[in-house]
Amino acid sequence: MTNRIVDHPVLGKLEERQKVQFEFDGKTYEGYENDTIASALLAHGIRTLRKHEESGNPRGIYCNIGHCFECRVTVNGETNVRACLTPIKANMIVESGQVQPHPLNPSQEGDIPKTYAEYLEQEGRG
Amino acid sequence: MKDTIICRCEEITLGDLEEIAKKHNSSAREIKLLSRAGMGFCGGRTCRPAIDKILTNITKENPSDALPLKVAPPVRPISLTDLGGFGKDDE
Amino acid sequence: MQIYDVVIIGAGPAGLAAAIQCRENNLDVVVLDEFPRAGGRLLGQLHQEPNGQWWNGIEESKALLERAESLETDIQLGVSVHHIEKLDDQFVIHTKKKYFHTRNVLIATGAAESPAPIPGWTLPGVMSIGAAQVMTNVHRVKVGEKGIIVGVNVLSAAIARELQLAGIELHSMALPTRNVVVDEQSDPRLVMDRLSRIAHLAPSKFIQLGSKFAKYKFVQSLALKYYPTNGIKMWGMPIYLNKAIKQINGTDKVESVTMVDVTINGDIVENSEKEIPVDFVCIAGGLYPLAELAAVVGCPFIYSEELGGHIPIHNETMETPVKGIYVAGNITGIESSKVAREQGKVAGLAIAHKELNSIDIEEKLQAAVRNVVATRDAASIQFHPGISEGRKKVSTAFQETMKTQKELELVR
Repeated sequence: MTNRIVDHPVLGKLEERQKVQFEFDGKTYEGYENDTIASALLAHGIRTLRKHEESGNPRGIYCNIGHCFECRVTVNGETNVRACLTPIKANMIVESGQVQPHPLNPSQEGDIPKTYAEYLEQEGRG
Repeated sequence: MKDTIICRCEEITLGDLEEIAKKHNSSAREIKLLSRAGMGFCGGRTCRPAIDKILTNITKENPSDALPLKVAPPVRPISLTDLGGFGKDDE
Repeated sequence: MQIYDVVIIGAGPAGLAAAIQCRENNLDVVVLDEFPRAGGRLLGQLHQEPNGQWWNGIEESKALLERAESLETDIQLGVSVHHIEKLDDQFVIHTKKKYFHTRNVLIATGAAESPAPIPGWTLPGVMSIGAAQVMTNVHRVKVGEKGIIVGVNVLSAAIARELQLAGIELHSMALPTRNVVVDEQSDPRLVMDRLSRIAHLAPSKFIQLGSKFAKYKFVQSLALKYYPTNGIKMWGMPIYLNKAIKQINGTDKVESVTMVDVTINGDIVENSEKEIPVDFVCIAGGLYPLAELAAVVGCPFIYSEELGGHIPIHNETMETPVKGIYVAGNITGIESSKVAREQGKVAGLAIAHKELNSIDIEEKLQAAVRNVVATRDAASIQFHPGISEGRKKVSTAFQETMKTQKELELVR
């Protein structure tokens, strides 16, 4: 882990902390206890946390204190979790945000059901 | 400059806002509703001062004491399940 | 169902100081904050006082937290409040997991950062100056190899120094190029004028220059005219009031910025574009009071440029015209964390006085109110000029609002 500020002239030496392993987009990373998802990933040089749902433009942290929601990710299946406010936990599964299907754009429709029949079919109840 | 994004959530540019304001001779609230600027995921927390500025500039009025754009709950995005109070411990 | 005496929203200096006063008077208190650590924006602060002593936000937060914990204060972190509902004789605080019923609420939600939008500012690697502060001093992770700061003001100058202390390389600080949103931050004269107010903070040539000249408009433009092309260095880092950032470049992340020369009036000098490789950019647009929860519970507002924006109307004991709703800290105007802490004390005592009505508490409350003024007068960081005038405006507005409320009640 390279991007840590280990020695600080005023704040002192970074204290020894418990290592924590977690997963981001299928890869395993190591961080420390009290890291947020955002800080642990940035320590590994990872800035992009999601793509804009419509345009696909990449986004990372902006405000880092929970105001802007730019860093929202999926954590253990829960969507829209702010990476900047969420401490990492052992074996946590974090997924970046991706482009979402667009109801008015045929090329980006995705596989969202358009009728109730399609919905039932997708649910395996058709 | 026109293509500078103002509302990050909805990717609304300065040009978009000025065009809407001119075309429809809109109030602050109308510009917000027409463009969706400030209505995205963050609830306008990031772009609110910028949008206020743009509107002041377009209307040439001094900032009023009342908030130019209304704030409505919830002030953080929550799921419908949470809004409905399911699973809430009300003691 | 438990009904709290007070729910405090925000565990920064104001919220924690208030909680301590409430707990010392044995009130039922819960403090809520969405950040995983207590301390708020105070956590990231690190600067040298004029007397040479370091103001260490982590240590200051720790002292407040330890005192609160010794009084068995219930502090719940990682909890976001999304609504305050007003019932006849109580309030309901809505959070994701739970409702909190309470007789009083202290809204101490602090400030949010104003944006300085420039093309490319959504790229990963572009962050607010406050984000860089928290990442550096709280999380102790480097925000990048080499960066640049867009926006020259009190806050960004202080945080630039903090990044340097942590060993992070900064190319320089420069202005944003002018657009409607950043007209003030892109005006070299205004920026120079405002910088002069931190003159006493730093023993640097640049700031002394600002201080000396800022008072005289004519001399000020002269100072800018003879402003060295290479900027004036603060702690070895150039601050440019004659250069601005036109756009941020990169495909998937920040790769460079385009810098241009600007005139004394902030106009771009043609053909002066230069590309500067950086891997992060900090946007410094200043702070504004984060008052959305005061708005949803029905507090009236007043606009004060001196205090940084729209302020929930309140009196000197931090009470709003909505009975039972109190405010303290940066939500009442952008000032130093020391002022926020003293305001928190006042709010805590005011709530204790309302609930317990004792002469002892009233005396403490009056002393605390005087302390806020004394702390303000002694503050080394002043974000806006005319804070005292702004405060007076808010007090007058409170009196007027209460008068109108009384008149309305008589009519009914």
